[in-house]
Amino acid sequence: MNIVVCVKYVPDSQSERTFQESDNTVDREATDGLLSELDEYAVEEALKIVEARGGGEVTVLTVGPAAAADAIKKALQMGAHRGVHVQDDAIHGSDAVATSLVLAEAVKKATDGSPELVLTGMASTDGTMGVVPAMMAERLGLPQVTYASELTVGDGTVTIRRDGDTASETVEASLPALVSVTDQINEPRYPSFKGIMAAKKKPVDTWSLADLGLEASQVGLDAAWTTVVTFAQRPPRAQGQIVTDEGEGGAKLAEFLSAQKFL
Amino acid sequence: MDLSLTDDERDIRQWVRTFVEKEVMPLEQDVLARERRHERGLPPEELKRLQDTAREAGFFGVLTPEEYGGMGLSAVMAALVEVELGRSFVPFRFAGDADNILFHANEAQQEEYLRPTIEGTRKSCFAITEPGAGSDARAIRTSARREGDEWVINGEKTFITGGVEADFVMVFAVTDPEAHKEGRTGESVTCFLVDRDRGWTSQQIDTMGEWGPAALVFDDVRVPHSAILGEEGKGFALAMQWIGKGRYLLPARALGGCERMVEMAMEWARNRVTFGKPIAERQAIQWMIADSATEIEALRWLVLSAAWQVDEGRDSRQAQSMAKLFGGVKCNEIVDRMLQVHGGMGYTRELPLERWYRELRLLRIYEGTDEIQRRTLARNLLKGHVSVRGHLG
Ligand SMILES: Cc1cc2nc3c(=O)[nH]c(=O)nc-3n(C[C@H](O)[C@H](O)[C@H](O)COP(=O)(O)OP(=O)(O)OC[C@H]3O[C@@H](n4cnc5c(N)ncnc54)[C@H](O)[C@@H]3O)c2cc1C
Ligand SMILES: Cc1cc2nc3c(=O)[nH]c(=O)nc-3n(C[C@H](O)[C@H](O)[C@H](O)COP(=O)(O)OP(=O)(O)OC[C@H]3O[C@@H](n4cnc5c(N)ncnc54)[C@H](O)[C@@H]3O)c2cc1C
Repeated sequence: MNIVVCVKYVPDSQSERTFQESDNTVDREATDGLLSELDEYAVEEALKIVEARGGGEVTVLTVGPAAAADAIKKALQMGAHRGVHVQDDAIHGSDAVATSLVLAEAVKKATDGSPELVLTGMASTDGTMGVVPAMMAERLGLPQVTYASELTVGDGTVTIRRDGDTASETVEASLPALVSVTDQINEPRYPSFKGIMAAKKKPVDTWSLADLGLEASQVGLDAAWTTVVTFAQRPPRAQGQIVTDEGEGGAKLAEFLSAQKFL
Repeated sequence: MDLSLTDDERDIRQWVRTFVEKEVMPLEQDVLARERRHERGLPPEELKRLQDTAREAGFFGVLTPEEYGGMGLSAVMAALVEVELGRSFVPFRFAGDADNILFHANEAQQEEYLRPTIEGTRKSCFAITEPGAGSDARAIRTSARREGDEWVINGEKTFITGGVEADFVMVFAVTDPEAHKEGRTGESVTCFLVDRDRGWTSQQIDTMGEWGPAALVFDDVRVPHSAILGEEGKGFALAMQWIGKGRYLLPARALGGCERMVEMAMEWARNRVTFGKPIAERQAIQWMIADSATEIEALRWLVLSAAWQVDEGRDSRQAQSMAKLFGGVKCNEIVDRMLQVHGGMGYTRELPLERWYRELRLLRIYEGTDEIQRRTLARNLLKGHVSVRGHLG
């Protein structure tokens, strides 16, 4: 089975992240980027499926600036077989709608129009919208099976477990399908030393919008349905409240917690 | 001149960096808490767990040649790895390395000592220093007397790292007293591989650092002739080779720690307000940060240039001594400053600064004190063996 995993290159959540003054988009120059940690789960799951079935290829697909090649490289180091990098200056500032368009076209091109299984993370660690998988599924005409915390590929079907607040659902869909996975599904592997060395020799295709038959006007800031109007630094955390125990400390604590609706 | 890293170097370093951030640093608070309770900061089973995780990914035996199951990385790469590991004070290291001189052992000895040491099933220690012979290693008095096909070892060694846990020792003893008296150490000293069950004993020495080295006593310890490592009488060169093995690696680790301390101190200084302003806005603090960052950068290039010379097969001894000397001196100055920036908190055991302060002090003493490095550096220069213009000439 051949699997396409969509991954995103995001600013390192460990570092100070900010927006550009000029167009209110994420400042990707100011911080180091990396493969979104939530997408590592999707890569891992794809590798496990291919390994278990003893065949097939994992293709990692990313849409992003030149530096996003690092996200592909990480996935190749983990064991993915090949990479596709859609890179075009016109894509800068695209919203989820446009991103899903580019991704869907790239999935089609990478699979000669007939994907078997497309995997994604549950959300990106920067935008955290979590809507791209659904949009892609719609564009590709595939069943969308989201938030999988367990995934089994059967004969022509895919079955997932989705954990909700009150219940766990088991959802089955016919293949081909698009599945987004959560951070509960597995423990992503570290790339191995051999994997790091091997990754350099794996094929990576770089495609432009034109390669996908898309127009610049369909993507980017101007085509976006949503815009960031303003942004502001998160205010510094306010001073905590100190409860001094003079006999009734416990009661005061309980009072505080219930006032905050923790109890 | 291109001073950037290759893709491989960046990728391998990135792996180690991620590993340290995800696996090692999360243990830091536990390590400090345990040490405050006077327990071992990183218990052996936890170290083993980390090493196993790394090994699964092939990170094992950084400098061990591939034919022995290691990664066989270059000296430059090993230095880069060491810097990353040094960023955490947790005493983690990858498994799979063995003392360089064991690679010179004969087949039988390799099976008995080298391979198990690489595997981690046996633990070595290296013993040259004695109560009366530290910097002047030629003054050792531990003796080995030949009796038939056996050697009988007598004497005392001290400050032996790993001496408490080791199950065998590479011990250096005088086998030709006449030559030794005449100062011909090139003929008088022999290295023996001696299992603990041959009867040597060890006693831990408490130090200001994390775990103490040991004093070893040899009281009529008998070993067969086959226990000799290398050749009879040629032990001193092996000892020098062991000590010189990777002088560039010691300051590399310290360098990583200093980077982290400067980052911690900057974070602290931005947030700590006195007299109405963050202390980061005070020149006194800024200069400490500026000087430290400059010295770290200078040290980085001393270390990498020494490592590069090793990889090039050049005579790197002068460069390695410089890196070791400068690292020892500067890292101790830097930790002192960064502790100072933290004020009273720097002095507490809530933060790792006082720990680094104690640990780094050793760098100026072992594997050649500052003074001995200077002695060597100056002699090489004055005798005209090396040029003050460095390797570029
Ligand atoms: C924690 C720790 C671990 C160690 N691990 C090992 C080990 O595993 N195996 C091992 O064999 N040894 C080990 N050592 C020993 C270490 O190598 C010696 O401590 C070191 O070589 C210094 O020798 P010394 O302590 O006898 O000091 P000394 O040689 O007595 O020196 C005392 C002082 O005099 C200075 N000095 C000496 N000679 C001169 C000179 N000619 N000119 C100017 N100044 C001079 C020195 O620099 C030093 O400041 C360890 C030591 C420590 C503290
Ligand atoms: C073991 C110990 C015992 C103590 N005992 C007592 C005690 O019995 N009673 C008591 O009241 N206190 C006590 N203290 C507190 C001690 O007096 C303070 O730690 C000390 O005054 C420094 O304050 P601080 O730790 O808040 O550091 P900070 O004031 O936060 O200073 C941090 C760093 O910034 C520097 N700095 C601060 N302001 C400036 C400036 N304007 N310009 C340039 N540099 C600046 C400082 O020199 C320092 O290097 C003790 C502390 C320790 C560690």
